Amino acid sequence: MTAELLVDARAIRKEFGGLVACNDIDFTVERGAIVSLIGPNGAGKTTFFNMLTGAYTPTSGEIVFDGRDIVGLPQHKITALGIGRTFQNIRLFGAMTALENVLVGMHSRLRSGLFRSLARTPLQRREEKDGRAQARELLAYCGLSPRAEQQYARHLAYGDQRRVEVARALATNPKLLLLDEPTAGMNPKETIAFVDFVRKAREERGLTVLLIEHDMRVVVEVSERVTVLDYGEKIAEGTPDEVTADERVRSAYLGTKPVS
Amino acid sequence: MGTGVGTAAASSRRPILALVPRIRSRAVTALGILLLGLVAFWLVENAVHDIGQFGLVTLNGITNGSIYALVAIGYTLVYGILELINFAHGDVFSWGAMIAYSVAISWLGADHHSGIELFGILAVALLCAGAFCATLNIAVERVAYRRLRNAPRLAPLITAIGMSFVLSNAIAVVYGFNYVSSEPLLSRRALFTIEGQSYGWDKLIVLLITVPTLMSLMVVVKRTRWGKAMRATAQNRDAARLMGIDVDRAIAFAFGIGGALAGIGGFVYLVYFTQGRFDLGFQIGLFAFTAAVLGGIGNILGAALGGYLIGFIENYNSGLTWHAPGPSWTESLIFILLILILVFRPHGLLGEELSTRS
Amino acid sequence: MRSRLRLPSVPPATRTRLERALLAVCFCTLALYPWLYSNYLSTTLTQWLPDTSTAFVILAFTVMGLGLNFVVGYAGLLDLGYVAFFAAGAYVAGWLASEQFANAGSVVFGGTVLPKTPGIHLSPWLVLLAAALFSALLGVVIGVPTLRLRGDYLAIVTLGFGEIIPQFVRNGDNLGGFNLTNGAFGMNGIDGLGFGNTVHHAIHTLPSNFLNELDSRWYYWTALALVVVTIVTSLLLRDSRLGRAWIAIREDEDAAAAMGVPLMRTKTLSYAIGAFFGGAAGAMITLQAGATSPDAFSLQVSIFVLCMVILGGIGNVWGVTLGGILLAYVNYKGLFAAGNTFNSTFGTNVDISQYAYLIYGVAIVLFMLVRPEGLIPSARRRAELVEEPEEENVGAEASPA
Repeated sequence: MTAELLVDARAIRKEFGGLVACNDIDFTVERGAIVSLIGPNGAGKTTFFNMLTGAYTPTSGEIVFDGRDIVGLPQHKITALGIGRTFQNIRLFGAMTALENVLVGMHSRLRSGLFRSLARTPLQRREEKDGRAQARELLAYCGLSPRAEQQYARHLAYGDQRRVEVARALATNPKLLLLDEPTAGMNPKETIAFVDFVRKAREERGLTVLLIEHDMRVVVEVSERVTVLDYGEKIAEGTPDEVTADERVRSAYLGTKPVS
Repeated sequence: MGTGVGTAAASSRRPILALVPRIRSRAVTALGILLLGLVAFWLVENAVHDIGQFGLVTLNGITNGSIYALVAIGYTLVYGILELINFAHGDVFSWGAMIAYSVAISWLGADHHSGIELFGILAVALLCAGAFCATLNIAVERVAYRRLRNAPRLAPLITAIGMSFVLSNAIAVVYGFNYVSSEPLLSRRALFTIEGQSYGWDKLIVLLITVPTLMSLMVVVKRTRWGKAMRATAQNRDAARLMGIDVDRAIAFAFGIGGALAGIGGFVYLVYFTQGRFDLGFQIGLFAFTAAVLGGIGNILGAALGGYLIGFIENYNSGLTWHAPGPSWTESLIFILLILILVFRPHGLLGEELSTRS
Repeated sequence: MRSRLRLPSVPPATRTRLERALLAVCFCTLALYPWLYSNYLSTTLTQWLPDTSTAFVILAFTVMGLGLNFVVGYAGLLDLGYVAFFAAGAYVAGWLASEQFANAGSVVFGGTVLPKTPGIHLSPWLVLLAAALFSALLGVVIGVPTLRLRGDYLAIVTLGFGEIIPQFVRNGDNLGGFNLTNGAFGMNGIDGLGFGNTVHHAIHTLPSNFLNELDSRWYYWTALALVVVTIVTSLLLRDSRLGRAWIAIREDEDAAAAMGVPLMRTKTLSYAIGAFFGGAAGAMITLQAGATSPDAFSLQVSIFVLCMVILGGIGNVWGVTLGGILLAYVNYKGLFAAGNTFNSTFGTNVDISQYAYLIYGVAIVLFMLVRPEGLIPSARRRAELVEEPEEENVGAEASPA
């Protein structure tokens, strides 16, 4: 029987020397939900993401993902358990093609190691072939034109780079998809398309989605629940309407784009 | 499993791996203390065994340690400001020794003088070595490293290796591949004796030069404008730039100071050991770098401290007679120490711990 | 992705065929070299061309360059102590093919010596394999504690190992009374390469001991075969899950980990494979030389092999092969020939080979300043080194774009 909460994080605290980046945060995500994490710059959002993926270890607190305690696990194990992510500043493997980037995302799902690759066993060859087909599919699903597949990621247009990053994250076959400021640099039309994409992906791929977002239109449009961080603490949580009406949120979050 | 998982149940499933870092760091600390205890015991045994030899070896340790300290500070200054391991630094030291030889012995004939004249010659040689090496280090930065400041880490590192070959082989072009040496320069007349071992100018000269040098260095780094500019640039290059600091000059200053210290170290080496060779800087450079890492890379005081520690380790290992591994194992010992520090305590003795997990 | 010849006006299909043809021609020339050298090449050229024995050494060092390419080129780890693996391979060859362990009696298995010779004498092919495996194991042992260090620290630590191992070898004649390495004298009387007596009796064209032949052609062909094996391994792994993992690590280690690539395991594997070929090359050279000594294992060897990888184009197999052959040629033949020509033209008596490392140092600095991607850059590498990388921190809170 599956737990209703995909992520159950309790009393998460992260200190960097004297700086407290996250202070006693409780955070949950229900399976199948789309949740947003917002807050001013420096609030601790990306730090929190990094603790979910295992890049940082919390100074104290627990994180239970899909029934498993993941604090202390190495990053690649957490990815294999089902957390995939994109990055705030795009971190593609610049000197690999778009297709190869996505193939790297499949690393934990493919099984051929050193000896099978050397011997080019039938299993390995089939795995590579299927992997490439699947990668192409994912890139198309994310809206990348087939021509761009063989281009080096460094040479791709910004929008295409974002698409490849999402495709790569999806290639890890995640249960939970973490998107870190995915609409940064997008125009309104692209933003709307992206919101539709997130919903579609959630339905078709059985994902749970956690977004860090600055664009309040996206937050209001796509999220079922919003959590607000400020100076490393959770200051509000609820539906988008509840949160945008909250006085504390408004005063903390100066610089919000007006919801037109 | 119900809605959410209880805290107690979750703790019981906490993977062993989460505990390992904590157990490991405690075990490592315990092991470190045990090792230190053993070493202390061994030192005491040796001192009791033969106090005269112990005293001599200790002085040797201080002497070598001074040289390592001078060179180590150069490594740490450059690493602090550029995050670059300047492989060529040891060879700047070699140049210091060779220039000191040329000025003091080839040109001014120090081995035929004594007293005040000798003092004057040595002073000139010291200044020349320091100035030459400061200029050399600044030139190396300007020519080889500046363009690669924004390149991926591998590039300046590889260039530094190349520069190291260029500098050391340039010495060979000028001076040949063999040792240059001279008669002992300083009189052996004892200034005082301890337990039958006499200590004269020849044994004390290193300390006499190093200590004032280190003290002036601290003044320069802490009190002068350029010292502050250098420290600011090391902490945060962009902020320093915004404050109006000429970052290029600050970096050149760091290289200059480091070079000058290496030059002084070279001078001291020549005066004490009265010989020099093109590849002198290789091993001394590596030991000095180990010292910088041991003390905490980026920390000047740490580099000095590390230098003396390495000096002691080297000489106690080579010189003490009771159950010492012996000089043929010195290099291995020091490199094993380097590896252990980098693996278990990369921030060294006085450095700051980086708390991100990686 | 394969790097392509830069002939933009030629259609891709023809380009591939041209590449393959070029490859075939090169291989045939190399394979026939011993024969070409002794029969067809005029004396003026012979002054500049290496004899078969030198060509053997050149190819052996090229294997090392290709081995280091797994570590530096693919996984992006700066290894300054590669000579340690060369030494490991050399000493395994000494242990398994000489009279070093005469105390063990006489173990002759497929070897090139007569039965009842004291010491261990295995078939040279087994020795090569054992040396390679032992080096790979050493690579794992060194890698496990050190590979989680950051780039420049890793460089220093590997340099440390590169210094420790020769000192250990020098002191190895008295490890608690046991003579493991014969200390500073090194090991002598090491058997040569060959097919061994049993095989020779079965197939007479295959010589029992290559030393008995007139020139070094059989050694040369062994080295060439090893080069081919290394190249094939490189190509097979590059276009595989493991190769992609390596390059991902080289590009952005943290992003790679976030995508599910196990960092330690993958890095250690590159180390082990690089060590495997380093050990094989070391054993091969030792079996040809018949002796080994700790003086051969210096930092300069590590740097020399690193130069091959850099000059040839980090990560590009063909570039490293070409760079390796070129640099080894310069070091073992070219410099002498140039020096002799210079001296005979100008009547001087300069020993240019003394200044080899000065020249290499200048070459490295110039290359890194002017053309860091090497002779034949892999398209990946050019993209990586020439354009400015973005400065990124995991966890940085960027202002909204």
